[in-house]
Amino acid sequence: MTPHRPASPGLVRGLALNRISGYCLAITCCLLLAAPALPAQGLTGQTLLEPPTTAWPTYNGDYSGRRYSTLDQINSSNVHSLSLAWLYATGTQAIKSTPLEVNGILYLTVPDNVWAVDARTGREIWHYYRQSEGDHIGNRGVAMWHDRLYLTTPDAQLVCLNAKDGKQIWIVKLADADLKYFATMSPLVVRDHVIAGVSGDVTDIPGFLDSIDPATGKLQWRWWVEPLPGEKGANTWPNVEAMRHGGGMTWMTGTYDPELNLLYWGTGNPNPVLVGSAREGANLYTCSIVALNPDTGKMVWYYQASPHDVHDWDNVETPVLFDGEFNGKPMHLLGQAARNSFFFLLDRTNGKHLLTAPFIDQTWSSSYDAEGHPIPKPHTAPSPDGALVAPATGGGTNWMAPSYDPQTGLFYVTATRTFSIYYLTARGKAEGWGGRDRGLWDDTATRAIDYKTGKIAWTHELGRGGSSAGNLSTAGRLLFTADNAGNLLALDPATGKTLWHLNAGGTMENSPMTYMLDGRQYVVVAAQDRLMAFALPGQPSAPGMQSAER
Amino acid sequence: MNVRKNRAAAASTVWKALPFALALAMIALAPVPALSQENPAPAARHRRRRAELKPTPAVERGQKTFGANCAFCHGEDATGGRGPDLVRSPLVAHDKAGDQIGPVILNGRPSKGMPPLHLSNAQIKDIAEFLHYRQAEALASAGVPSDYALKWMLTGNAAAGKEFFNGAGKCKDCHSPTGDLAYVATKYQPLELESQMLYPRQAKRTVTVTLPSGETLEGPLDHLDEFTVALHDSAGWYRSFPLDQVKVSVHDPLAAHRQLLDVLTQADVHNLFAYMETLK
Repeated sequence: MTPHRPASPGLVRGLALNRISGYCLAITCCLLLAAPALPAQGLTGQTLLEPPTTAWPTYNGDYSGRRYSTLDQINSSNVHSLSLAWLYATGTQAIKSTPLEVNGILYLTVPDNVWAVDARTGREIWHYYRQSEGDHIGNRGVAMWHDRLYLTTPDAQLVCLNAKDGKQIWIVKLADADLKYFATMSPLVVRDHVIAGVSGDVTDIPGFLDSIDPATGKLQWRWWVEPLPGEKGANTWPNVEAMRHGGGMTWMTGTYDPELNLLYWGTGNPNPVLVGSAREGANLYTCSIVALNPDTGKMVWYYQASPHDVHDWDNVETPVLFDGEFNGKPMHLLGQAARNSFFFLLDRTNGKHLLTAPFIDQTWSSSYDAEGHPIPKPHTAPSPDGALVAPATGGGTNWMAPSYDPQTGLFYVTATRTFSIYYLTARGKAEGWGGRDRGLWDDTATRAIDYKTGKIAWTHELGRGGSSAGNLSTAGRLLFTADNAGNLLALDPATGKTLWHLNAGGTMENSPMTYMLDGRQYVVVAAQDRLMAFALPGQPSAPGMQSAER
Repeated sequence: MNVRKNRAAAASTVWKALPFALALAMIALAPVPALSQENPAPAARHRRRRAELKPTPAVERGQKTFGANCAFCHGEDATGGRGPDLVRSPLVAHDKAGDQIGPVILNGRPSKGMPPLHLSNAQIKDIAEFLHYRQAEALASAGVPSDYALKWMLTGNAAAGKEFFNGAGKCKDCHSPTGDLAYVATKYQPLELESQMLYPRQAKRTVTVTLPSGETLEGPLDHLDEFTVALHDSAGWYRSFPLDQVKVSVHDPLAAHRQLLDVLTQADVHNLFAYMETLK
């Protein structure tokens, strides 16, 4: 028998791309026949660049990922009288999305579902449902462009909806769900690019990030997480086979600096997940923050937070953009509280490393290399007889939104202290995970990080267990989050002291957001399947009256 | 995804969205490997461990046929050799009962050096069953089987573990190998024993609540957050109190375990486990 060539390196990539081209052709044809003129209503480009306080037009509210609002009608002196304005229950699994709010309408999701809800009253306007196969672990939300919405699905498709009525305009395949790709992330619109990433690490499939034409659904560019042989970074993989099956999913919404025209995106863990011996080297560009040109998809710089990860510590946590002093110099900064339990501060103009500091106790590293990468302690890699490590695979934090408050200069993160034993179960060639951790215990706290020093300014315990509650800070000197006992919390962002709480009857699994309509500020949070809007009682309600823009 | 919560959600919505609820229920009830990019609480993670895979007769037949005809290039376990890794193969991922791999087996891939193989339809179906089984095994690799072999875990020194138990670990302050830990290694599978040894999560906290009147209540702690404490009192009634009106003293039998986790070396863990395994 003649031997085969080694496993075809281009097969997975080729397959996915061919399918996309096919879809795109069909869609383009349809659009040419019925090209709709885009109305001036809906979401304008200017709103995306500088969101007014009346809107929350992207997953993080704005491109910076700070989750900071300049609204201060609800503030530390009146928050004690905050009350429920309305409640909307989806009757499904927990809401993990942050709703968008544009022109008085909220758009929220759970997997397979989108709802448009009146942002003043909580009344449902329309509901889109499309049943799909695939991992239904969660959905983060939609992106908006003019009068269209974009949703990723459990079967790794990108759906374009008419925001007026929820009718489907087109659907394109991002990736092959039969290979166990799926999608949970909220796309991000940057001018005329819909940026969408993918999930999935149970099989050894390569990660990528797509830019899609918002009008036609056509692929504009695809950035692969793993390099090709001969490309920069290829020497951090042992061979082509490992590179082609290297994982690194792009499953969280990134951030964008319009002035530098750079997109900042986190990448996930390499595959096989726990089996480092199958992929010696740093495994670029997994577990990294990458800066990409949104027009070309070309990488401008990268910073790898966890070289050669063997603990499932996806580095997809929001790369938060803010300007501030560092070592006495004004700088354009990028801060990230990473899943591996370390806070990283970078110069976002060039990716230069400025600071590394643990934001919660961990046991896997006590030293850093010259570029601030944590160096693993010996014997913390998964092993057949089990390695006791903190944090567990879920990490010191995860996808729940952090927040940066320019008033306090503090970076807020939902931080989990968690121990686990990591077993390596793979015998022979490892496929997929090749092992698993068994969790022992978790405790969660909100922690405030001084970005200049990496020191913890305060800790507010949230109770036993893990948490999915995100953070929102406001100019009203408030930090909104939730504890593990079902209490929604408003904390003093300077001290962490509780200023307001309400038992919501279930835990928060999304991240709070806020907006102003008719002169009234709303804070919207979810507890399980219930979306709740809070406002102050007796506020003026003047139709058409909008507050000052930011 | 939290399977337990999904089930509850699905059940409550049957009246208004039956097809959707059924879809959710099917997803929730299907054997799901522990394969999350997110982090459910450890308890939830344990609940959704995949049912153990068992090869069917077709899989066993397919393995034999594969071993005789295909393993020379694709490896005994189908993870590749001179030929491609079929566990990671998109073709196998798209195959239904041999419809994709059948033509490849029958026609070969001459351009890539694969000859045609003269196998029957039944043999091809069996090979497909085997390859799908191997792919399912790869998916299930995100779980540790509960019958994980003791031999993989037993790398420590039992004598050193006993010394740690009685000495630096201070385990004997609370535990006795002839008392609460007697025959512990026969009660638990090895994997469970190791988890229990490190953090016996079933141990419950108790609380003493002192009311403004000076009256004290004691019992199992039901709830504690920064606003409220709740317990079951000695008469069996649930009682809750605002934290700012009572004094609370929590007894946590696991505090010593939590402190120990910070200082245990991997060797300590394996030595202690080897010692626990002697308690039969």
